[in-house]
Amino acid sequence: MRSLIAFFPLLVLVAGCSKETPKKEDTPELITRATLTFAPVGSGLNVVVSATDPDGEGVQNIAADGPINLTAGTTYVLTIQLINGLVSPGAAGYDLSQEVAEEGHEHQFFFSWSDPTVFSNPTGNGNIDSAADPVNYTGGPHSKDANGRPLGLSTTWTTKGSGPSTGSFRLVLKHQPNLKSDTSDATVGETDLDLTFTLNLP
Amino acid sequence: MSARLFYFSLGFFGCCLYLPAQPCQERIEGRVLNELGTPMVTVSVAVASLHQGAVTDSLGQFTIRNLCAGEYMVQFRHLGYRPQTVKLGTGGTDAFLIIMESESGTLKEIIVHEEHDHLEGIQNYTILGEKQLSESAGKALGEVLKEIPGVSSIQTGPGIFKPVIHGVHSQRVLILNHGIRQEGQQWGAEHAPEIDPFIASNILVIKDASAIKYGTDALGGVIVVNPAPLPDRPGLGGSLSTVVQSNGRQGAVSGMLEGGIRNALGWGWRVHGTARGSGDFHAPDYSLTNTGIRELDFSATTGYHKGAFGAEIFFSRFQTELGILRGSAVSNLNDLLRAMEQEPPQGTTDFSYTLAEPRQEVSHNLLKMNAHWVRPTGSWRIQYGYQSNFRREFDLRVGGLSKIPAIDLQLITHTLEVEWEKHTSTGHQFTLGANGMYQDNQNVPGTQRIPFIPNYTNISGGPFAVAKLNLNQWMVDIGARFDFRNYDVIGYDFKNTVYTADLRFSNVSMTAGAIRPLGKTQTLKLNVSSAWRPPHVAELYSLGTHQSAAAIEYGLLLNDSTNEVMKISDVPFKVEKAWKAVVTHQHTGRRFQVETTLYANFIQNYIYLRPTGVTQNIRGVYPYFRYTQTDALFLGADISASMQASSRVTISSKVSLLSASDFQNNDFLVFIPSNRFELAVRYSATGSNFYVEPKVKYVSQQYRAPRVITVREIQEGVAASIDPLSGSQANFDFMAAPDGYALASLAAGISLPSGKGRFDFRMAVENAMNTSYREYTNRFRYYADDIGRNVIFSVKYIF
Repeated sequence: MRSLIAFFPLLVLVAGCSKETPKKEDTPELITRATLTFAPVGSGLNVVVSATDPDGEGVQNIAADGPINLTAGTTYVLTIQLINGLVSPGAAGYDLSQEVAEEGHEHQFFFSWSDPTVFSNPTGNGNIDSAADPVNYTGGPHSKDANGRPLGLSTTWTTKGSGPSTGSFRLVLKHQPNLKSDTSDATVGETDLDLTFTLNLP
Repeated sequence: MSARLFYFSLGFFGCCLYLPAQPCQERIEGRVLNELGTPMVTVSVAVASLHQGAVTDSLGQFTIRNLCAGEYMVQFRHLGYRPQTVKLGTGGTDAFLIIMESESGTLKEIIVHEEHDHLEGIQNYTILGEKQLSESAGKALGEVLKEIPGVSSIQTGPGIFKPVIHGVHSQRVLILNHGIRQEGQQWGAEHAPEIDPFIASNILVIKDASAIKYGTDALGGVIVVNPAPLPDRPGLGGSLSTVVQSNGRQGAVSGMLEGGIRNALGWGWRVHGTARGSGDFHAPDYSLTNTGIRELDFSATTGYHKGAFGAEIFFSRFQTELGILRGSAVSNLNDLLRAMEQEPPQGTTDFSYTLAEPRQEVSHNLLKMNAHWVRPTGSWRIQYGYQSNFRREFDLRVGGLSKIPAIDLQLITHTLEVEWEKHTSTGHQFTLGANGMYQDNQNVPGTQRIPFIPNYTNISGGPFAVAKLNLNQWMVDIGARFDFRNYDVIGYDFKNTVYTADLRFSNVSMTAGAIRPLGKTQTLKLNVSSAWRPPHVAELYSLGTHQSAAAIEYGLLLNDSTNEVMKISDVPFKVEKAWKAVVTHQHTGRRFQVETTLYANFIQNYIYLRPTGVTQNIRGVYPYFRYTQTDALFLGADISASMQASSRVTISSKVSLLSASDFQNNDFLVFIPSNRFELAVRYSATGSNFYVEPKVKYVSQQYRAPRVITVREIQEGVAASIDPLSGSQANFDFMAAPDGYALASLAAGISLPSGKGRFDFRMAVENAMNTSYREYTNRFRYYADDIGRNVIFSVKYIF
């Protein structure tokens, strides 16, 4: 009987140990902000729009900081930047667009817009519904991947001659490890990004 | 000769009638008491057919050794007492209790019980013996246990099975592996128990809610995995099994060698190893890409048993790598829609043995040391266990991270138990004991993801007392236990900042049971028990998406608008507590046997994932679930019957019925097994132990399933800014429960003697009609069909 009673102080002794703080993890996959920069070819101001998810995996919805307001009859180069806001700027893992560029052969941005006339080039409504629909994967070093297939970190867009137009603009980033091919479309692979912005042409 | 009744539940064995020239290693052990409960000395115990026997010692105990596995008619004689002949069987850790009646006595019925290790009292249980385990050789533990009525499984594809007892699983089912609580990451629905069924001599499934001797968590029941007792005299024995299966092109080999040590009576040893490997499994119409398995297990044990003293040391290692169906890797709701509507699933390729991401790597080590002393003042038992569990889960990740685990957990557990047991002269038995556990869970750094669950240390333990009383017509047992559990938690929240918590829980568990014979052939067994379980940190703090689930989970202690971690004192949290009543009626006739179990399990403060809303983040739209509490009620019946239609033909049937509900909200719970029915006809030829058994199994559709809100309806709701869950917090599922299905199988086997041992051959075809079906409790039912036809061939050599 005595051995049973002597047993419990042993547990209490062990309980007294304090916990050490575990090492903090880098989180390179967490995208908290996507910034779209429409840079006009020639002169003019950049149009910058960001969508920020304030809490990552948390319950709060992602929100865009405004609509995309483009000028009629202008050619823009759209560059997409993906940021992990939990990491300080300049630290490793802050700019995730770099990861996507390095793994271009496994990624592709797909686009769609609601007003099929808002762009004179490309025509149509985008390639989310059909991969063969036109989108201009040109304009920057990471428009295409190392295999010459479309990637889309930079794309080129020409707005129509005159407005107005109001609609939406959607972009989807697909991660397609061992699945990306000449025919893979927006249904293939896992979705890493799916954002819709309001697009205005006054 | 007075009427006698025996209560027998070792299942349906074929009898091995071959007696080899070399001695077999089985034994029959027991105790003989008189009707007053006093141990009887120098009772002659004889196996008539073998001219073998023993004599009871001063404690009334006897052991008949060197028997082949099987059943024997055993005669008990003592001057002044009525002689008895009783049918007893070998195998497992059985010890029989025989009560002899004096010639002038008036006792109408004599009861023979079996006493199993780890069976605390009068409990409702079913046992899978060696023969049944051989017929399931090559399968994972959760799949083997599905044969028992009332037991089913939650699957994650064809390789991962978690046992479900009477509708509850994971943290609510306790698994005892060689007498030690199996401590792995049980909270995960795709975390199968890390136990090799080849190592078991028998497996007991206890259906009562309690584990008075083993602590918290046994709200649904206990699964006890038992090895055979160690040899204690020189001689060599062993077995070698090989199983091949067509579906998955699986091969498994398992070998065991055991013996004693020359000139060292009392010593015994055993070594055991298993290797298993399969490639992609196959549904009737397509391959299930990336569902392969690799497994390598090893164990070694040695011990000394002589007279009143025994000690043993045991070590085992279990190691596995499992693939997760490629087509189940979904990221957001759109991906889920595509995966659900596409058949064959995305990423389906031809058969291959390759395991790619997503996949799991798990290993589990167990070291156990125990000793026991039998003294006039009672028996003492002490046991120490050490477990280390390593789990790494790999997902498809960006930036070359697929080769780095997304989840990397290390769980170390120490357990210590002390027990004292006393048999009184009146046939009663009292047990007192205490056990304690120290556990440490760490996220191994380097995953480059915010950990899904925090680090923690867990200290728990408590004392218990059990009494078994022999009261005339009734055998009654009562037990009670007190437990405390302390969690010391430290983790990272959604902002990647540190939080800590100190949680304390304590509560009481109780059990009361009784068994009564009714007439010559019937027994009635009742048990009422209460058990509780402290929450797991996963239920309190988890945040994020889980492998192959396009839904975010939030722990109970996360604030529902800010996602901040809250203190447990700030929420109305109560520990889960189950009240379970189980009644078993058994009829054992000469030609007809039936066992019926009825149960009701009321679980207060039942923790589960409830759909709460829809959120939008950078990857798209996600429904999210939050751990909440409700009261749940599980009602059911398990029936198994067998009838000897002729000397060669036996017809057997099993039925499992279950009705579960969210009692508080008058709603259905998700992933509850549906009703299932099985009918088998076995033809046995006694001469060469040949048998043929066709079998049909019907699983009905789960009609008691929550409402369906399809992915399209959620998307349309979000697009129109209407709450897609229509403002109701009722449970929902993305897809309706699949149709009911019937599967036919055919098995045949034969036992042939060979030299010193024997060969058991078995051939079976499962899902013989190659039926396409989906099982409601398989988490992959959203993506793919279940497996098609499987041809199995196994050979076992035993000596």
